[in-house]
Amino acid sequence: MSTETLTDIAVRTEDVWKIYAQEPEDVEAVRGVSLEVRAGEFMTMAGPSGSGKTTLLNMLGGLTRPTRGRIWVGDLEITTLSSKELARLRLESIGFVFQAFNLLPVLSALENAEFSLLLRGVPAEERHRRVRALFAEIGLEGLEDRKPGKLSGGQQQRVAVARAVVGEPTLVLADEPTANLDSHTSDALLDIMERLNREHGTTFLFSTHDPRVVERARRRVSLVDGQIASDERG
Amino acid sequence: MRRTPILLRLATRGVLREARRSLLTASAMALGLALLMFTRSLADGGHEDWINAGVRMGSGHVVFQRPGFRESRSLDDRLSGHQTRAAVAALARLEGPLAPLYTTVRLTTNGLASSASSALPVVIEGVDPETEVAFSQAAQRLTEGRYLEPGDRLGAYVGQGVAERLGLSLGSRFVLTAQSAEGDIQGQLVRVVGVFRTGLPEVDEGLVHIPISTARSWLGVGDAATTVGAILRTSRVVPDAVQAVRSDVAEDDIRVLGWREAYPQLDAALRIDDYGDYVFLGILFAIVALAVLNTVLMAVLHRKREFAVLQALGLTPAETGLVVFTEGVLLTALAGVVGMVAGVVLTWVFFRNGLDFSAFMSEEMTFGGIVIDPVIVPDFRFVQVLQSLFSIVVVGTVASIYPAYHATRIDVGEALKFE
Repeated sequence: MSTETLTDIAVRTEDVWKIYAQEPEDVEAVRGVSLEVRAGEFMTMAGPSGSGKTTLLNMLGGLTRPTRGRIWVGDLEITTLSSKELARLRLESIGFVFQAFNLLPVLSALENAEFSLLLRGVPAEERHRRVRALFAEIGLEGLEDRKPGKLSGGQQQRVAVARAVVGEPTLVLADEPTANLDSHTSDALLDIMERLNREHGTTFLFSTHDPRVVERARRRVSLVDGQIASDERG
Repeated sequence: MRRTPILLRLATRGVLREARRSLLTASAMALGLALLMFTRSLADGGHEDWINAGVRMGSGHVVFQRPGFRESRSLDDRLSGHQTRAAVAALARLEGPLAPLYTTVRLTTNGLASSASSALPVVIEGVDPETEVAFSQAAQRLTEGRYLEPGDRLGAYVGQGVAERLGLSLGSRFVLTAQSAEGDIQGQLVRVVGVFRTGLPEVDEGLVHIPISTARSWLGVGDAATTVGAILRTSRVVPDAVQAVRSDVAEDDIRVLGWREAYPQLDAALRIDDYGDYVFLGILFAIVALAVLNTVLMAVLHRKREFAVLQALGLTPAETGLVVFTEGVLLTALAGVVGMVAGVVLTWVFFRNGLDFSAFMSEEMTFGGIVIDPVIVPDFRFVQVLQSLFSIVVVGTVASIYPAYHATRIDVGEALKFE
């Protein structure tokens, strides 16, 4: 029995499976994963391509529904939520950082970063204050009005990180966030995320096979063939 | 509701982002709307011309007759003097847009026209020369001589075919023979004062106008008439005018007909032409719908990842669909404004005086019992502009529903996969 209270848990899964119906036979992308991630953890899920990292991450973020099993974010079981409730959960509790940055091309850097605050109805002045402070913290000052197409890969990913954390979510799910970045930019980005984790207590859960990311994590889970192969701390 | 401005902003930028594609689609739709306005104006104008020609060839937009006259064409089915006056008075009481431009009283019967060389069955119309000259198309299609004048007692205005077949020329005398009110066969000597040619053989070879006073005294009908008719400003007011005079002249043995009932052949011809227009409009609407559907659906398919990101950030599937739907509506609205301006320019600025189709027509083209004027003047009305705009907006909006639905069904996890 876990000694943590439910509120200490950022995310928890119980025998989660994801099976994709496919010919000639179904694909079991995630097979019976049970996992607990405590609030404030800086953790990686590593594994080769096809090990189920991204699928598990998407299920934790409510983007994909598991075939069976249960998932909680905080003390809320998300596997029974409607699409609308999941959208609300993502807005209020989860931040995403994607491998391909996935900034909205029609919005400026500032508009991208403030998007979740905008959806939450935070007044413009407050939104801008928070985004500008975050931009100053992560070295994006002066780039507020640039569209994603006018930013470098590293700058785009930093905007994506700002977008993920500006709403102070319980959990940030980052899917291969450094895969498209050079080593220098990757290190700089990891510095930022580590600092946000340390100073703001934001929980970071990375799906990655980048050794630099794995090296920095304080907890390392490895996935093989959709199952947890190891779980190391420290 | 709180998120409406955000969704609107996303949709607006989505449209502007693919400016070239949006512009091409909007242009196709705008062109469709402009063509719709132009063709509808032209069709309405053409139809109004045909109706006008038809009612002037006949007895007007609104016709008073005794029940049975249309079938019997007999003096037995004539309006009494009292009924005739009541009908004229009822027409005179129509006001505003219903007020008649011209009113006519006619005594019409079938008879025989005989000259020294030949004889011909004809329709004899006793008319009031003063009112008929502005009313009747035959009166306006003079080729020789002049139309009847108030002083003419024995004058006859004949179709060219009648003149040719009877060997008549201006000043020639011939005899009209018909059954009088008493049932006797009576003859009336008349003299040709004018010849007309409408282009319709059945009219040119079979119609003779004589003064109604002459016809009345010859046929012994007193101040009776067979028909009272009126030309109105436009055929669109005919139903209202008919309803007004019907309630005004509430006599059982007077029948009030609108032009559709009075000229069923013309009505049928116009309906057939309308069906052709509907097919054309259907094709036009389908093109517009497909243009919108294609553009918006392509946008959804190309931007699956973007819509998935929106949902990952907290937009609901329904809101994502709403963004796509709004893009379609914005595109349609943009096209609507541009198309409306283009339609007005095309119809009003370039062709307000009419479009001459004479190069595509034989010299005298007849259709539905009328001669078609090769110059068609578009009937340009504000309400029609609004109807066209509304139609295009509805089509564009409906065509945006499927792509919007598609956007709500995106598999977010799948769409976010890095490729």
